[in-house]
Amino acid sequence: MSKRTLPRILQTPAVLLLLVWMLVPLSMTLYFSFIRYVLNSSIRPEWTTPSLSNWRGFGNYGYVLKAKDFLFAIQNSVLIVGSILIITVVLGLAIAVLINRKFPGRGIVRVLLISPFFVMPAVNAVLWINMILDPVLGLQGIAVGGLNNLIDGLRDFPVLGVFFNLWPTFEPISFRATQTSAYAVIMMVAWQWTPFAVLIFMTSLQSEDESQKEAATLDGASSWSKFINLTVPHLARPIAIVIMIQSIFHLSLYAEIEIVSRGNGNKNLPYLIGEFANNNIGAASATGIFAVILANIIAIFLLRMVGKSLMD
Amino acid sequence: MATVTQSTKFGNFMWPVVAWGVALIFFFPIFWLVFTSFKTDQDAVNPEFLWRFTPTLENYTNMTDNYDYWKFATNSVITSVFATLFALVVGVPAAYAMAFNPSRHTKDILMWMLSTKMLPAAAVLYPMTFLTKNMLGIYDTHFLVIVVLCLVNLPIVIWMLFTYFKEIPKEIIEAGKMDGVSTWGEIKDILIPLAWGGIASTALLTFIFCWNEAYWTVRLTTFNASTLSTLIEGNRAPEGLFFGRLSAVSTAAIAPIVILGWFCQKQLVAGLTFGAVK
Repeated sequence: MSKRTLPRILQTPAVLLLLVWMLVPLSMTLYFSFIRYVLNSSIRPEWTTPSLSNWRGFGNYGYVLKAKDFLFAIQNSVLIVGSILIITVVLGLAIAVLINRKFPGRGIVRVLLISPFFVMPAVNAVLWINMILDPVLGLQGIAVGGLNNLIDGLRDFPVLGVFFNLWPTFEPISFRATQTSAYAVIMMVAWQWTPFAVLIFMTSLQSEDESQKEAATLDGASSWSKFINLTVPHLARPIAIVIMIQSIFHLSLYAEIEIVSRGNGNKNLPYLIGEFANNNIGAASATGIFAVILANIIAIFLLRMVGKSLMD
Repeated sequence: MATVTQSTKFGNFMWPVVAWGVALIFFFPIFWLVFTSFKTDQDAVNPEFLWRFTPTLENYTNMTDNYDYWKFATNSVITSVFATLFALVVGVPAAYAMAFNPSRHTKDILMWMLSTKMLPAAAVLYPMTFLTKNMLGIYDTHFLVIVVLCLVNLPIVIWMLFTYFKEIPKEIIEAGKMDGVSTWGEIKDILIPLAWGGIASTALLTFIFCWNEAYWTVRLTTFNASTLSTLIEGNRAPEGLFFGRLSAVSTAAIAPIVILGWFCQKQLVAGLTFGAVK
């Protein structure tokens, strides 16, 4: 056996498995996206079995493009992923700098901080939307109620009471409405993934060149200018990696949307596909192809940005 | 100069306080979940008993009646363990070949593998349902969940193993070749003992990802092979009256993984950044 053959044989199972995993379902999606295919139809029963005789060309794509939810789903996907990325990177940087020095109990602080990352998405969503954000029974409702009671009590206070009389009664926010549920999703996912960013930034901070910083201190540089001119450039690669890995996970965000937003009109692209797939497989498949194209554009961009540095 | 010293002293005192505060805020939701799990369903929604209440274990003792917890937990364990094992069995030889006998396509193959992770799962959900339900008849079986979890995580497994194997000096493997050790011998007697730490952390991380997976496990099962994600997702409705028992079952679902995570947080960084952050 030649020197080259064996390595090829060893990686063949992995490559073949992934190839089948990628190509078989995807080519079916591509096929379904060009035919009329629905799960239930009493008027056109022939559409309920996939067949080339139901060819529709780009009809499904046109239908999806015209559906009013399509643009909304894309905007919402971008809003959710973009907000999560910004929040996690900014908060992650701040917290990583905060705990990047010795202080009592640092080990425990690390353990407490990283814990949210290991919570399963389903529990995360159920916990936040019910026990924390519910406008009546959750902590939010209880806190708002307590605040209102407090202000009510203060209204009877002599002199200062006049001031508190001007305060309006606070209304708890329902996070199950169309737009607010997107904020709830952003909140819970950012809570889960900020620890991830912290962990990676912190690891990277520990390899920062301290002598450079000391030299800057001697030259009279402020802490802020040291952070901007030395630390942030040092963290460029970790930031890029955090963005790439999070994009991989959040573009296909589903469980949180499903639990928080079900039936209230809020959706991202994967959720819209799921909705179409309840009956109109043709439209679901066309939306799927749009999602694949979108993911590919982002993937190429991200892999260009980060890929090179991964191979060093 | 005086002000600088002063602010540093103040900073030295405040710094840990702020750090502890931030950590406690982040941990608070988990604490609240565990805390609520010791309240009765009535107490859990009564602001009067927000902090002071009579703790009870009834939510845990009734968990089997309320939720059939053990069935779902067993499914989670079975599918996560076997998916991790299969991913390693396929991934170790592949990563070995790529790390020690790279060809000029190795980089492209690795990048392509990573790009399969970016394929939106929802785009192929219906074909997967169609294939497994109508054609192969393996819908809602442990076998299917194991295969899918294995495939979903395979790119990350290979990447992680590749970065660990790369760190091993090639000469050690070459020396084995000179001594006439077979490839299988090389993997078994030289590579695995040397890369044991890396393989173990890959396995741990894969296990965590499998356990927490909530798309395929929910959508490719109905009952028989459903995992804990399905159990929790089934309780998505605003069930205010059942906060106590819901908290208990959620705590039981995340506890093994959160504790496991505490022990492998160091390896997590190397694993998730593919060794690019050190």
